[in-house]
Amino acid sequence: MESQIELTCEEIQGKSNAKLLHFVGDLDATNVEMVLENICELYNDGYVNLVANFNRLRYVNSTGLGILLHCSKSAKEKGGSFKIASVNENVYEIIEIIGATSLLEIYDEVEEAVAALK
Amino acid sequence: MSTNVFQAELISDTIGPQVMIIRFCGELDSSCIGELSKCIEEAMQGEKRNFIIADMTGVTVLCSAALGEFMGNRKRLAENGGDLVFAGINRDLKQKLTLMGANKIFSFFSDIRSAASAYKWHFQKKAETVTLTFPSSLQMVPPVRQMASRLARKKGYGTRDAFRIETIVDEVCNNAVEHGKEGSDNEIKIILTMDKEKFDINVINISDPEKIASLKSFLDQAESKKHTGADQKRGRGLALIRMLSNKMSVECSEDGTNVRVTKIREE
Repeated sequence: MESQIELTCEEIQGKSNAKLLHFVGDLDATNVEMVLENICELYNDGYVNLVANFNRLRYVNSTGLGILLHCSKSAKEKGGSFKIASVNENVYEIIEIIGATSLLEIYDEVEEAVAALK
Repeated sequence: MSTNVFQAELISDTIGPQVMIIRFCGELDSSCIGELSKCIEEAMQGEKRNFIIADMTGVTVLCSAALGEFMGNRKRLAENGGDLVFAGINRDLKQKLTLMGANKIFSFFSDIRSAASAYKWHFQKKAETVTLTFPSSLQMVPPVRQMASRLARKKGYGTRDAFRIETIVDEVCNNAVEHGKEGSDNEIKIILTMDKEKFDINVINISDPEKIASLKSFLDQAESKKHTGADQKRGRGLALIRMLSNKMSVECSEDGTNVRVTKIREE
């Protein structure tokens, strides 16, 4: 009965060690571990520049947000970056309330986030 | 007697002293305007009553003149803080009224019970309560939080309020599972009490003796509003609940924890 999250990723042309991740559904306590494992696998495979497309991420809770902060920190430690793009208003409010807007790299559009990759 | 003959009957005021039900039957055409008007006037008792439920279950025709009569009386009731609503109207008639734009003036309810429920909600401002118990498992939290969100939407709360309510319920229930006694034998109880102005969330769980000390320390830390570091994966739930809600209290004992949160409607 866990909530649904679908995570797919694609190559980003012209950017090294980069992947675009599409989040679809709800990110919460029932699926954060799965999401974290997937992202860690990408890091281990050398993909340290990630852009997370939140266009179809409906919901995130404090646990989900904790994982995002962790992913962002890990990417920086590995010399890369974890950027977030196309966040809906409700999810953005949660990020803002937690005080994470200054800790996460958030962009209005996926294209902007991709362009900002090294 | 033919079912097409117009009939109007005052039923009762058992829903509330301000409410009267009028059961209409047959064809409401221009020939019955006088009787229709007299019946509504009687139901209003010279404006002593301000809420009329027109039971249209047996109505086959409603002409524009009769609709105009309803509109005029509805306006009088609305000026007096009340309403005239339609209940049990058949699909064909409802479609015709919608084409005429009457749905923008009148509320349609499937039956008298639904209309009475709306009266209690809107005019008497009565609260409604939904109680649910579920096994203490994280997997159960998503459907519970989504149910709370849907309830809020159904009761007229806006999308943002509903999302905030969903988040509060999620965070409180996750904490109840994490810090309480887990497993299918240990139920968590959630009581949602909502009215037009606010949404109260009450979550009760059974304490786990082995987790009591850590729970109290967690609550103390939250009380002192210590900042959760950026590298920490967890520990932001209570702060989030506080920011999203208008009032929060936690009672923690050896038996269980009771968290009460109030979210005032903003939209």
